[in-house]
Amino acid sequence: MQEIKRRYVIPGDKIIEGNYKPLMNVMKSGDYLISTRIGIAEAGKDGVKVIPLSGVYIPRVNDLVIGKVIDRSSLSWDIDINSCFFAHLPAQDVFGRDFSPARDDMGRQLNIGDLIIARIVSFDRTRDPMLTVQDKDLGKIPYGEFIKISPTRVPRLIGKRGSMIQTIEQATQTRVIIGQNGIVVVTGRDIEGLSLAVKAIKMVEEESHTTNLTQRVKSLLNVHDPSELEQSENALSSTAEVSNDALSSTAEVSNDALSSTAEVSNDALSSTAEVSNDAVSSSSSSSSSPTPPVTSNSSSQINLDTQEQSYSTAESQPQQQQQQQNFASVDSSNIKDDVEQSENDDASSNLADAYQKEKKQEANNEVV
Amino acid sequence: MNELTLIDEHGKRSDGRGIDDLRPIKITVGVIKNADGSAFIEFGKNKIIVAVYGPREVHPKHMALPDRCVLRCRYHMSPFSTDTRKNPAPSRREVEISKVIRESLEPSLILSDYPRAVIDVFVEVLQADGGSRCAGIIAASVALADAGINMRDLVSACAAGRLGDNIVLDINDLEDKEGDADMPVAYLPNIEQITLLQLDGKLSTSQFNECLNKAIQGCKLVYEIQKEALMKKYFGNELELKEEVV
Repeated sequence: MQEIKRRYVIPGDKIIEGNYKPLMNVMKSGDYLISTRIGIAEAGKDGVKVIPLSGVYIPRVNDLVIGKVIDRSSLSWDIDINSCFFAHLPAQDVFGRDFSPARDDMGRQLNIGDLIIARIVSFDRTRDPMLTVQDKDLGKIPYGEFIKISPTRVPRLIGKRGSMIQTIEQATQTRVIIGQNGIVVVTGRDIEGLSLAVKAIKMVEEESHTTNLTQRVKSLLNVHDPSELEQSENALSSTAEVSNDALSSTAEVSNDALSSTAEVSNDALSSTAEVSNDAVSSSSSSSSSPTPPVTSNSSSQINLDTQEQSYSTAESQPQQQQQQQNFASVDSSNIKDDVEQSENDDASSNLADAYQKEKKQEANNEVV
Repeated sequence: MNELTLIDEHGKRSDGRGIDDLRPIKITVGVIKNADGSAFIEFGKNKIIVAVYGPREVHPKHMALPDRCVLRCRYHMSPFSTDTRKNPAPSRREVEISKVIRESLEPSLILSDYPRAVIDVFVEVLQADGGSRCAGIIAASVALADAGINMRDLVSACAAGRLGDNIVLDINDLEDKEGDADMPVAYLPNIEQITLLQLDGKLSTSQFNECLNKAIQGCKLVYEIQKEALMKKYFGNELELKEEVV
């Protein structure tokens, strides 16, 4: 046995000599196995195959495909599955065995133009592919972002054991439905996440044959995140964000203060440590923005100051003690003000929530 | 007289080439986004663009074959491709060349893999300078590979001919008109089979053999350029076969 090899081939290239089993896009010619497509040849123990880099979709039984309803007869729908064959979805598959064209209105289930995800149940050289939607997660796709990629890029987009698509889904908080026929539908609530996912998918399509692609996709998603944050931070007042943080920390502190003063100091310590992280990012952003829109609320500014101090002096114990006092001295009126302010900036606080979510997501990614 | 003008005393031809020289060839793959596969070839002064669509559904339906794919080729010369305007309607010559291109490509394709479908090949000559059918075949084969259609081999093509007593490679427009014989050959370089052989003019048996061998040598040279063009499109600058142990 020769060692396992991978290499680039074009049609007609001799891949290997000897008695190997031709698996995919390979044909025997004399003693040699030759490639029939442009792609990456892999000669393994079980046989020789060429992973193609171009080509249209040819249906296979059990493939999951996304198709568009293009026509309807009295007993079935015709589905365009991005191939040279139109697929059929029998009405019995949707309505059950007792379907009657006279009684049941097919238009109530699927209309022309609808997008469905289905599985191919039968296809051979003599018949057009037959679909089914009788399975979990199959059926009509109500909404989403529609992308068409080359069907040959689908395995790369999915990645090894779904690694690539999981990366994209997690980083952008979207759900990506991939059909083997090269049609991809991305759904998600966050528009920015959607567009980022689309961008990542297009990148995978364009650079599918290059090495280290997962890393580059990850860097695309990660690199893009901070710029997104900057945008969101610029859009809303940085003070509002800070006040949010301050609100939570002061709320914690004051609650604890109510229960017991001994605990306050401990909790305040931890809360200052917590806040300090937030204060780093928020203070840096607030320093970058020339004039915070909301400056009338002095209490929130005090909070900001204390937080900054807490960060800068977190190392020395006596100063921390002083800050505990500062925090403890924050009265409930301050909190009220903060609440009002955050209510006024409803939209911006929503954005801030999104920002916090994203930060959590980032942390998750790092763990992953 | 003709011999004197076509080959000088130093063995140089009208455009400065030696008798065994090809015209400069440049192939670009994937120039048409809407097509499934495409290629643009500059073969000397020839400029030809080829687009491949398919496998796709056959229209009209009755043309479909139950056991294999239909290959349709259209060779067309643009009105501006020649010195005097060419009528854009398909001429007898174009219909014939469409047929010979189709027949020269067919053996390279595994058409039985796509029953009831059709593959359309459009060969559009933007500028003609003799040997456009060969250039069309070269580009069409590359475009078919770009479209990801199962193929046994690429098809390369080259003409050889006779100028007086000399057998020369790659006849150009002037040599085609003024020379004594022109023989376009299409060839499968790995399988070593000929898929097109035409001859216009007179050759003795020995001249024929020499001419055929020379044309096949030309095809092998052309094949390297085709291969390089495809590799460049799909694997970037890694023109060498990359081998790695997994």
